[in-house]
Amino acid sequence: MRHELTLRIGPATFRVGSAWRAPIDALARLYAAYPDQRGAIADFTVRLQPTSLARRWVRPSIFITGDHGLADAAPMSLAHGLLAAEMGMNLQMALGWRRHLLLHASSVEKDGRALVMTGESGSGKSTLAALLGERGWRLMGDEFALLDLDSGAILPFPRLVSLKNRAIDVVAGAVAADRMGPLLRATAKGDIRHMVPRADAVARMTEGAAPALLLFPRFGHQAEVRPVGQGEAFMRLTQASTNYVALGEPGFAALTRFVTGAPARAIDFPSGEAAFDMVDRLWDELA
Amino acid sequence: MQQEGPAMDRMKRYRLDRRDSCRVCPLDDLVLLYHPRSGQTHMVISPVPEMLERMVDGAPVTASDLHDRLARDYDLGPRDVALAQVAAQLEALEALGLVCAA
Repeated sequence: MRHELTLRIGPATFRVGSAWRAPIDALARLYAAYPDQRGAIADFTVRLQPTSLARRWVRPSIFITGDHGLADAAPMSLAHGLLAAEMGMNLQMALGWRRHLLLHASSVEKDGRALVMTGESGSGKSTLAALLGERGWRLMGDEFALLDLDSGAILPFPRLVSLKNRAIDVVAGAVAADRMGPLLRATAKGDIRHMVPRADAVARMTEGAAPALLLFPRFGHQAEVRPVGQGEAFMRLTQASTNYVALGEPGFAALTRFVTGAPARAIDFPSGEAAFDMVDRLWDELA
Repeated sequence: MQQEGPAMDRMKRYRLDRRDSCRVCPLDDLVLLYHPRSGQTHMVISPVPEMLERMVDGAPVTASDLHDRLARDYDLGPRDVALAQVAAQLEALEALGLVCAA
C-alpha cells in the first residue's frame, strides 16, 4: 500500500498499510518508543483502504481489512484513522492469533506476578489497568492478555491504551501530555483517546509474569467484593477468549491451570480511589 | 413408533469407548471434562464424574449394573429413584457423545 509501518507489540508483529498518510503518521508518533521493525516479517497485515475509489478523496471513508477481516465491518471516517488502525490490529489478534490463549482482559504486574482483570466493555478494566500502570505497577496490556500454553505465564500485549468517554479526563490528568493521542470525537464507541504506555511497559513487553490474582471489575456500583468460584471463573474466561475452542486440549490445560492457581474475585467500585484500595487489599491478602 | 418404557431404558447397555476418554479437571465447585474427540468442554457435577470413572474399563453396562457399581462406594438411597437418575444421566451422556450404546 502507499503508506505503511511495521510494528511489534509483545510477541506479535503487524504491517499496517494505508491509502492515506495520516493514520500511519499518527501511529508512528504514538509507537515511536516501540522496537523498529522495518523489514521484519509480520505475523499480520492490516489494510486501511477506501470503501470505493472515490472515497479516497471525497469524504474519505476507511474500510478495515487485512489477513483477517469482517465483511460487514462498518466504514470509518478518515478522522478516526488511528482508531481504525488499532481496531484492525485487534481484529487480527482476535481472529488469527494461535500461539497463546488470548483473553479479552487487562493485566498489570508487580514483583513478577500478574493481576488479570476481565469484564465487558465499560467495566473499567482498561482504565484501572492504565491508572495502576501509573501507580507502581507495570502495565502489561489493557485489552488482551496472552496466556502461555507451556509456562502458564501471562505475556504482555502493551498496545496503546484505548480510553473512552469519562475515562479520558481521568487518565489524561495522571499522565504527561506527550503520552496522549488526539481526541477522536463521536466514534461508534463515543469519544476515544489513546495513551502511550510508560517506557518500562514497552521495554519489558516480552517479559511475562505468573498470574496471581484474577479480578472481574465493575465500575459504577457500590463497593463490594464477591468471591468467584473456579467454575464461574473458567466459564467467564472461556467467554472472554477468542481462541479457546481453536486451541483444543492445550487451551483447556492452560486455562484450568490458571483458574486453579489464581484466586478470583468480582469487585464493584464507585470510583478509581475505591478501586485502588480494593486492589491493594486483595493483592496483599491473596496474591 | 412404540416408546421404550423405563424398564427397557434400564436394560439398554452403554459403554465408554477408549477414544471418548475425557481429560478431567476437578475445580472447587464442579468438574470439567475435556472431550478430545469433539473438542468440547463439559461442566458437570456428581454423579457424572463418578459414573464415567466406573465405566473406564470399557465393558458394556446397563443402568442397573452401573447403579450397583456406584452403590459399592456411595449411599444412593432408594434403589428405584437412584436407578432412574442413573438411566437418565446415561441417556444424557449418550446424547453428548461421551458414552455410546453398546
